[in-house]
Amino acid sequence: MNEVLKISGLTKYYGKIVAIDDLSLTIEKGNVYGILGPNGSGKTTTLSIITNIIHPTKGNYTWFGEKPTPASLQRIGSLVETPTFYPYLSLYQNLQIITRIKSLPDAGINRVLGETNLLVRKHSRYNTLSLGMKQRMGLAAALLGDPEALVLDEPTNGLDPEGFAEVRELILREAHNGKTIILASHILDEVEKVCSHVAILKTGKVVAAGRVSDLLTKDDVIRITTDKPNELYEALVRGGWIKTINREGNELVLTLVKEKSSGDLNEFAFKNGFVLEKIEIVKQSLESQFLELVKETNPNSIKS
Amino acid sequence: MKKLLQIELIKTLNNSTFRVILILHFFLFLLLIYVSTKIEFSVPGFSTQNMFMFPNVWTLISWFASWFNLLFLGIIIIVLTGNEFSYKTLRMQIMNGLSRENFLFGKGFIILLIAIWGMLLILLAGSVTGIIFTSEISFQKVLDKSYLLLVYFIQAIGYMCFALMVVSIFRNNALSIMMYLLYFIMIEPIFRLFLPKVIRPFFPVKILSGLTPVPEFISITSNSTLITSSGKSQLDFDSIGILPESIPLLTSLILTIVYISLFILVVFTIIKRTDL
Repeated sequence: MNEVLKISGLTKYYGKIVAIDDLSLTIEKGNVYGILGPNGSGKTTTLSIITNIIHPTKGNYTWFGEKPTPASLQRIGSLVETPTFYPYLSLYQNLQIITRIKSLPDAGINRVLGETNLLVRKHSRYNTLSLGMKQRMGLAAALLGDPEALVLDEPTNGLDPEGFAEVRELILREAHNGKTIILASHILDEVEKVCSHVAILKTGKVVAAGRVSDLLTKDDVIRITTDKPNELYEALVRGGWIKTINREGNELVLTLVKEKSSGDLNEFAFKNGFVLEKIEIVKQSLESQFLELVKETNPNSIKS
Repeated sequence: MKKLLQIELIKTLNNSTFRVILILHFFLFLLLIYVSTKIEFSVPGFSTQNMFMFPNVWTLISWFASWFNLLFLGIIIIVLTGNEFSYKTLRMQIMNGLSRENFLFGKGFIILLIAIWGMLLILLAGSVTGIIFTSEISFQKVLDKSYLLLVYFIQAIGYMCFALMVVSIFRNNALSIMMYLLYFIMIEPIFRLFLPKVIRPFFPVKILSGLTPVPEFISITSNSTLITSSGKSQLDFDSIGILPESIPLLTSLILTIVYISLFILVVFTIIKRTDL
């Protein structure tokens, strides 16, 4: 069975508000699956349902191809929303509670505290930790017992740039070891650098899902100024060069189809007698693509 | 099961509120008994000493102990369970694969342990006081009324299960403590007044507190004082609901167990359903 998690038709209402709406996803073994979406898009609600914290209004999900039970959660390490521990217990005692729940030996506690650089604070009370340390403690708890799958909700929350890099490395290392990782994030960069797959969420719906490389490809935008913009516009469209095109005064703003490059374009213009006064390649940021994806599905949203 | 107990002990024994309440319980309880032995009633025909002798000492001390059920034991349970909601540690445990039932079983263990603690305190205080005050100790005298230890045990569980139910409903320490105390001292007693006399004795507070009634000696003296001070001998205390209506102990015990089961049922239903 290669399916680690299968979500079908999951819906959750908070009163009249729809947090997630008919959400379906399949996550296979070894995937590093990013769940990407702006705040309030339903990422945490989804993760809370699959970790049994909240009950769905409709729909269901399976873990490892089976109906979920508390025992299936013992095979998963999770950090959902913010890390929560007993403030008056030491890190070691807090983790002991988890090893008891998951029937693990206590020996693993030192390992995970080491991996998250918290070993020196082993006997400190949890409430004496800094925000970043608490976040790392959450990760330590998720890593206990070397679980088959990790569910991480914005794991770099509250971390400094160094911590950011460390967590990213840690996730990549776990992924390399064949772990399935489900990572919710609103940071595109994080998803792009870490994930193999991504589902983009918008107001509780999956807007797009697939391989990161397919979904978040970077089409560069080309800006051209020419003496005969209308003619060039027509020639390019007719010649099948164009993916998107817009006229802004004298300027043409366009993206090319996959097979063509800006060099080809330059050559084509020259051969057909167009004088290109300016040709500028604008690297499109992932952010703007992401915003486009999110915007496309919602015609009522305010255009910025 | 052993693991659930271990989990619960790690959480509970390191909790400072728990330790403080337990230590206070211990000292105040012993202090109360010590002070009570120093008070002398001057009612002709009765000797106060009599209350501290076997077997009457069990009645007196289990009655004293029951005072602490409301303020100490019930509140410990509210704080311990309420923290699981406010620290969000219940969700942390569920997320890691603890079932909601097992979480509640863990709390059940703590309730049992605290009830045993309360019972041991009575055993300790009762035996010491009884040995000091009883001139001729016999097994017969010691064992007579010692069943009150068990009655107290069930009563303590009743208070704590009620507290567990309240905190499951409100999921907030302050509000739960307030509602819990209000229910015991105001809501039910007032509500009862509006109901027919026949069903009044069957409410949970009435049943629970009635398990360890005021020792006869005190109730008789206070009764007579009240009547003489009010100047009327025909005042019907029963109808106001101040004096305990008498229900046989066995009936009370059975009803307590019924109530405890009801509280537990409500707790399970709520915890199973709530989003954390």
